[in-house]
Amino acid sequence: MTPLTESFLDRLASTAVQEGLADAVYTTLSTPLGRLLVAQGERGVLRVAFEEEPEDLTLAGVAAGVGPRIVRSDRELAATRDAISAYLEGDDDTLDLPVDLSLARGPFRRAVLEALHRDVHRGEVTTYGALAAEAGNPRAVRATGTACATNPVPIVVPCHRVLPASHKLGNYGGGPDRKRALLTLEGAPWRG
Amino acid sequence: MSAVVLPPFWSLVEAHGDELLAHARRMTDDQSAEDVLQDALLRALRAYPRLRHSDHLRAWLYRVTTTTALDLHRRRRREIPTEEPPAQPVEAEYDDGAFESLIAPLAPTARDALRLRFVDDLDYDRIAAELGTSPEAARQRVSTAVRTLRERVTA
Repeated sequence: MTPLTESFLDRLASTAVQEGLADAVYTTLSTPLGRLLVAQGERGVLRVAFEEEPEDLTLAGVAAGVGPRIVRSDRELAATRDAISAYLEGDDDTLDLPVDLSLARGPFRRAVLEALHRDVHRGEVTTYGALAAEAGNPRAVRATGTACATNPVPIVVPCHRVLPASHKLGNYGGGPDRKRALLTLEGAPWRG
Repeated sequence: MSAVVLPPFWSLVEAHGDELLAHARRMTDDQSAEDVLQDALLRALRAYPRLRHSDHLRAWLYRVTTTTALDLHRRRRREIPTEEPPAQPVEAEYDDGAFESLIAPLAPTARDALRLRFVDDLDYDRIAAELGTSPEAARQRVSTAVRTLRERVTA
């Protein structure tokens, strides 16, 4: 049996997007941080997953959050792909993509991620404590850590810029090496 | 969001796309098969969130592809007027609704089996492929449905 051609799949996915039939579109791309899966809805990026995360589980999570009409298209996500590649390869200093935090659970986690996306820019770092305060609850330091650890859109929502009070590296969903690489790329002040 | 857990649509396209294209080729021809399958998959995508269960998704995609191919045949027949009337009005029962109203009281699985056999005119191997069963089970499903219909008509 002949497999479907790339052009057939491209045409199908693009028509689906144009007719408003897709709950989300996804793509994968190779970057200096490894292979990334990126899923995007009409309002913005929904999910970024590192290569260790099984693709089927990631997509099942997206389907559970926004709906099962998920299509794959490099073409429909070309602008997002280019922006992420350029940023991670050091060709572009800003990564300014809209996000859709539908996959973040609960209003507090969403507030944490919104504050982080809005206020903590390239070259800056913050702490879990400061971010908790920013999100409206200075005592919720641990919950802020959880919000970062379960961030559905790492890199785009920069949880790598959140450090423990010691300003040491701390934890990262994508592993400490990626956190170190991102902060180094951004020239951020941290105590390696 | 739907209450049932449906797999991401693209995983179905990747798992069954090639066999659906082969099916579309059998139902039409090499030139039309890709267009039929495009149309069928978009129809399927449109209906997908309304599915009430996630069973038999492969068989469902086969049915949508079959229906789309039949629609193309009907459209073509209307578009190309011929001097002679078609020799055999094979889909008359389907078109005038008599067949559908006849089978309406049956269970959905029985109706599917009957349509595949008598409207789509498929053999049991292909009916089995569409229903996701063995050919023997497909044959049994059709014959049970026919027997049920006969009993209803003569009762």
